[in-house]
Amino acid sequence: MTNPADQSTGPGGWDVMTASTRGAAHEATGRPNQDAQGWRILDPGRQLVIGAVADGHGHSRHFRSERGSRLAVEQGCEAGAAFATTLGGLIDADEVAAAARAALVPRVVETWSRAVAEDYGRAPFSAEEEATRVMYDDEAVIAYGSTLLLLVLGPRWAVVAQIGDGDVVLLHADGGVEAPVPEDPSLDGHYTTSLCQSGAADSFRVAVIDRSETPILGLLAATDGFGNAQAAEPWQEAVGTDLSDMLRSKGAGWVRDRLGSWTEQCASSEGSGDDTTVLLAVADQ
Amino acid sequence: MPDRSTSEWQPVIAESEPVMPGGGVARRPLHFIIMADCSGSMTGDRMQALNYAIADMLPQLADWERDQLVAQVMVRVLGFATVPMWHVPDPVPVAEMRWKALHAVEGGYTNMGPAFREVAAAIGPDRLESRALRPAILLVTDGRPTDLGNEFADGLAALTSFPAGQAALRLAIAIGRDAKSEFLDQFIGDPTVPVIVAGNTEEIAERLVAASIAVSRLSESGADHGALVSQLLGTGSGGPEDSEDQTIL
Repeated sequence: MTNPADQSTGPGGWDVMTASTRGAAHEATGRPNQDAQGWRILDPGRQLVIGAVADGHGHSRHFRSERGSRLAVEQGCEAGAAFATTLGGLIDADEVAAAARAALVPRVVETWSRAVAEDYGRAPFSAEEEATRVMYDDEAVIAYGSTLLLLVLGPRWAVVAQIGDGDVVLLHADGGVEAPVPEDPSLDGHYTTSLCQSGAADSFRVAVIDRSETPILGLLAATDGFGNAQAAEPWQEAVGTDLSDMLRSKGAGWVRDRLGSWTEQCASSEGSGDDTTVLLAVADQ
Repeated sequence: MPDRSTSEWQPVIAESEPVMPGGGVARRPLHFIIMADCSGSMTGDRMQALNYAIADMLPQLADWERDQLVAQVMVRVLGFATVPMWHVPDPVPVAEMRWKALHAVEGGYTNMGPAFREVAAAIGPDRLESRALRPAILLVTDGRPTDLGNEFADGLAALTSFPAGQAALRLAIAIGRDAKSEFLDQFIGDPTVPVIVAGNTEEIAERLVAASIAVSRLSESGADHGALVSQLLGTGSGGPEDSEDQTIL
């Protein structure tokens, strides 16, 4: 089942659109879409926008991961909004990255962990869930395991904080394409870093783009169901180049209208079969 | 149905636009490499049985591929004796495989080290798609390695010296009880996963099917060795619901 491509509209600033489709493998086994996505516009001119996507882990030990991913998006947007208001006084990218590591990332981890504890307090595990937890000898938080890709987008700075798999693709205004977040060699497609692990803050990867030096056309954030479905190898440049062309020639509205069909193709049994979620933020040119 | 001969009929022309940025989607490749012992001792009934077993296994693997929703199985086959030689060098979709018989090498030794190196070269860094599932390697042999010196250990070390090789699911079928050795346990690298023994040539086909299906399923399901072992022992339920399970490091 696909959520229709959502949108924020209006002149100027950032234009955000998202789509999410439950994976064919999840449909076949009765599992929910364990991805989540959301965004927040902080000012009328949409100069400050927060966006997030999250992928709840599919393994049976993460039996509440769809809640974990939803909480990750909620708390990520909350923490991102607080962080965005502090960016105005910062003057170089290293400073912004250091601030993201010192303030944004710990806050995300702390508030997500607290939200998980509250959720668990409100709805303790059923006997079946508890049996699963005991079988894996896990702490309760493991059941909520999720990735998070968080975008904090402002007039000068675009900040990306990511834990776990998934992809962020930067579309340069000049047509170039880049994967701005450093690779994590420990991610092999089966194991991922996660908000639920101890020391999660240390596993976040951070990227900062200075828009005064690197004009941005857009940023694409996607759960791994998207990248794992792409026939092109490597896919980021192929997808990014085509997407840039589409945004320029057809416009953001045209892309928005098709985003849902793209995630449907990726999530189908012809693609990755996995839950697929995309958030695209387009900068007004 | 409209009459094409009339001037009123107009063909419906689909809007011409890219399917999606990047050029479309595909299933995730699951590279499945069979390492088949072609040493001299395989001559005769054993090689005939192995050929029959592989030919019997492939359509069943294709059926499994069709029934699940994630992987496209790509098969390669390496024969090895004194030296390794690719029998199917390039990955072939399992549904398109047409089996051509392997032949034993008269007087050939069972040198596994060079064979491991050959597989290592095939799946080494940047040789597989970034979105590929963990590769699976199935070693079928009727004897102990005859490599001299440290060749077996060095070859195995080469195979497991990079992420895909290290993460690869490695299974071994011993043809005849004498072939079950500590070397095959070293190849598997997981004390919870047993060497599969085909006590006679009649059992090869059955064991090969069980092993290949187990490997394929576990390739999607992370580190659930219990599922693999139960599959190998013939007690696994084995439906696609066992698959596609991501977990934390």
